[in-house]
Amino acid sequence: MEDLKLQEWNPLGYKTLYRNLFKKHLARQDELLKQGKKVGWFFSFHPSEIIYIFDVVPAFPEQYSAYAAARGSSVDLIDASITKGFGHFLCDYFKTTIGMIEEPEKATKPLMPKPDFIVDTRALCVAHHEMTEVFARKYGIPKYTVNYPYWTSDALGKVDELTKIPERVDELYMEYSIAKLKGLFEFMEKVSGTPFDEEKFKDVFETSEKTSKLLIDIAKLMMSKPTPGSQREIADLVFLGFFVLGSDYAYEFAEKGYEMIKERVKRKEGVVPEEKLRLLTFGIMPWHSLSLYEYCEMMGATFPVNLYVNASLHLCDAKNPWESMVRRSMHFTNSTYDLLDGVVENARKADLDGALLLENTGCRITSMIIHPLADVLQEELGIPSLILEAPQCDPRVMPLERAKTQVEAFVESLL
Amino acid sequence: MGKEVEKAEKIDELYNSFLSREKLKQYKENGKKIIGTLCNNVPEEIIHSFGAVPARMLGLADSTELASSKIPTWVCLYTKRIMEDALRGDFDFLDGIVGMTSDDTKSQFYSAYTFYLKPEFSYLIQIPYVRDDLSLNFFRKELERFIAKLSEFIEEEFSEDRLAKSIAIYNEFRELLDELLALRHLDSPKLSGEDWLKILLSSTAMLKEDFNNSLPPVLAEIKDFEGYKDYKLRIHLSGTDFYDVEIVRMIESLGGLVVSDDLCTAEGYYKGIVEGFNLKDLAKRYLNQSACVLTAGLENLSIEDRLNFIGERLRESKADAIILLRDRGCEICGHQCPFILQEFGKMGIPTLILDLDSPYPTEQMRTRVEAFIESYG
Repeated sequence: MEDLKLQEWNPLGYKTLYRNLFKKHLARQDELLKQGKKVGWFFSFHPSEIIYIFDVVPAFPEQYSAYAAARGSSVDLIDASITKGFGHFLCDYFKTTIGMIEEPEKATKPLMPKPDFIVDTRALCVAHHEMTEVFARKYGIPKYTVNYPYWTSDALGKVDELTKIPERVDELYMEYSIAKLKGLFEFMEKVSGTPFDEEKFKDVFETSEKTSKLLIDIAKLMMSKPTPGSQREIADLVFLGFFVLGSDYAYEFAEKGYEMIKERVKRKEGVVPEEKLRLLTFGIMPWHSLSLYEYCEMMGATFPVNLYVNASLHLCDAKNPWESMVRRSMHFTNSTYDLLDGVVENARKADLDGALLLENTGCRITSMIIHPLADVLQEELGIPSLILEAPQCDPRVMPLERAKTQVEAFVESLL
Repeated sequence: MGKEVEKAEKIDELYNSFLSREKLKQYKENGKKIIGTLCNNVPEEIIHSFGAVPARMLGLADSTELASSKIPTWVCLYTKRIMEDALRGDFDFLDGIVGMTSDDTKSQFYSAYTFYLKPEFSYLIQIPYVRDDLSLNFFRKELERFIAKLSEFIEEEFSEDRLAKSIAIYNEFRELLDELLALRHLDSPKLSGEDWLKILLSSTAMLKEDFNNSLPPVLAEIKDFEGYKDYKLRIHLSGTDFYDVEIVRMIESLGGLVVSDDLCTAEGYYKGIVEGFNLKDLAKRYLNQSACVLTAGLENLSIEDRLNFIGERLRESKADAIILLRDRGCEICGHQCPFILQEFGKMGIPTLILDLDSPYPTEQMRTRVEAFIESYG
């Protein structure tokens, strides 16, 4: 066990940046609510630029649920959902949100504001569509559905894992997706009461492009040797990639975050003094037990690649905003498994020793792909994987101490 | 009594073709391509028009240990059983598979299946969740795309005439089943739920023209039967990809009589005539499948469509109660069950939920069903 002596942990220091980001996001929300602007509920991979183009107040069931999990109320909320008859093996985000609606007294405050409308895209999962129906029915509100395809290699060829730039795109799928997105803009005009403004549209997409470039650069810099940052900080980049891309505050974060990581890489400084293993990780983060990452890092096992974070990124092209919105859906978790090639190609650059994969109970998207991913990593990169069953909001299935023991054994076997 | 035995034998003969997959293997020996389908909404008429055999993939394995090493243990039984059969080599006779983006499990399972089993041909049909003109047009074009890929694989040109003929055969199949279904709705139903499911399952494992030829003699026997009079409760079965005849037999052995359903393997599979004979008509039929749990009109919710579909079945069949078969791993059951309970509860229709997971806790289920039937029968 001498090898696993815990080291001093030296994160990038993004905590302050996140604090400022959330402060500004919530201040905008409060201001717009005061002005009587409409509230929309959105899910990951939606075209977040619409929030800023149409001046609506966004709320994100996934983000709220992650917050509830981190604050410890998600277990009660999940139980409330099951009590109401919803299935056990559904997305934790759905169950937590239903719990918040049904038993708000048990939920972490502030609650999400009640929605005036809801938008779903099949950019990640059909579950978003299914939960949208449930929420729309519960609140009696209008919804809009964008039907992106579940991408196949014959429609895209290869796809760059970080930028989501494909070799080609089947015209039929691109045209239909754009037509649905244009329908979404009409829907947004109607529900928000804000007319479409071409100038604002351009501005928001320019901000989105600048931010997306920086976020991709941060992900690339994370692959440096030694790994410069902690997954406790990097994991939260999904908030920017999924929910607030297009905002000034996301850009401000990305600029500062990029500088911080760049400087650290220049100094060849790692998240721990002695990096012993470099691991890839994938799966929705267990928001209740993020300290698992910190613990691994302190053992010397760092995470230069987080495929979940990478999935949230795409290179926005302000000159082609409609195509960009569609490309946002071209991540490997919304694709057939032959498109895992792109993941391998990127991961190869990181000089990895192993992988920590999280099977998120209830999430078919991240869980069904886990075994094929482990197989591909073994075959193509020769690295073994540890698969942990880890629902993102329910610590009962993955108690932290048990997870630590499993990770310790895995790390020992790799050293 | 002799008549009844004869009827049962004829139905079992049909059902055996499902259990043995014998007919499919015979077609294969005769040079036909066999294409497995992963959803009841795959437009089989297209596959049929190429002279190939569409076969609904339904796994028959009792346990799923091989599947559990490739896919999560908590996903639906339907998926686990197909994977298990496939890994055991029981689907080796298939030349290809066609999936559909009908839900997350089915999309991801298509990926997992092609990743591990590497079928010679595979295609994933993208189905829109919205019924508007834009989506209908897209869906028609998507079917054209599927046709092009299948044509390339089968090395046969697509023919509109052959498609029209296939549509006619499938419509005849649907009309025959409607005739059969009407016999379940009588005050003394002439067909049990068990036999109905057996017949439906057999239709998924043979060419529809062969089924259409096999059914009339069985239908005649059923019509001759005086009907069931001693049942206690008329039951509607609600669920998705359910095909466990034993559960239906258990319900009926306790005094229930299953008179209608909205299962993806039964009424949800066959209901809905194609109104016309071209690709657009076909696209319309499949996009408008109201038993399908995900597509809906622009302003509607698919759950409302499903509730209406169930409501219609209840009215037609005069069912007194609902048994909801909730596969614990089924996301659709997981999201929609509370609404079915709530909606029909308001109408005073008693509903029992049976959670399905392997292995079935048969005795517990029996006790619950018995109590349910005693309470409301």
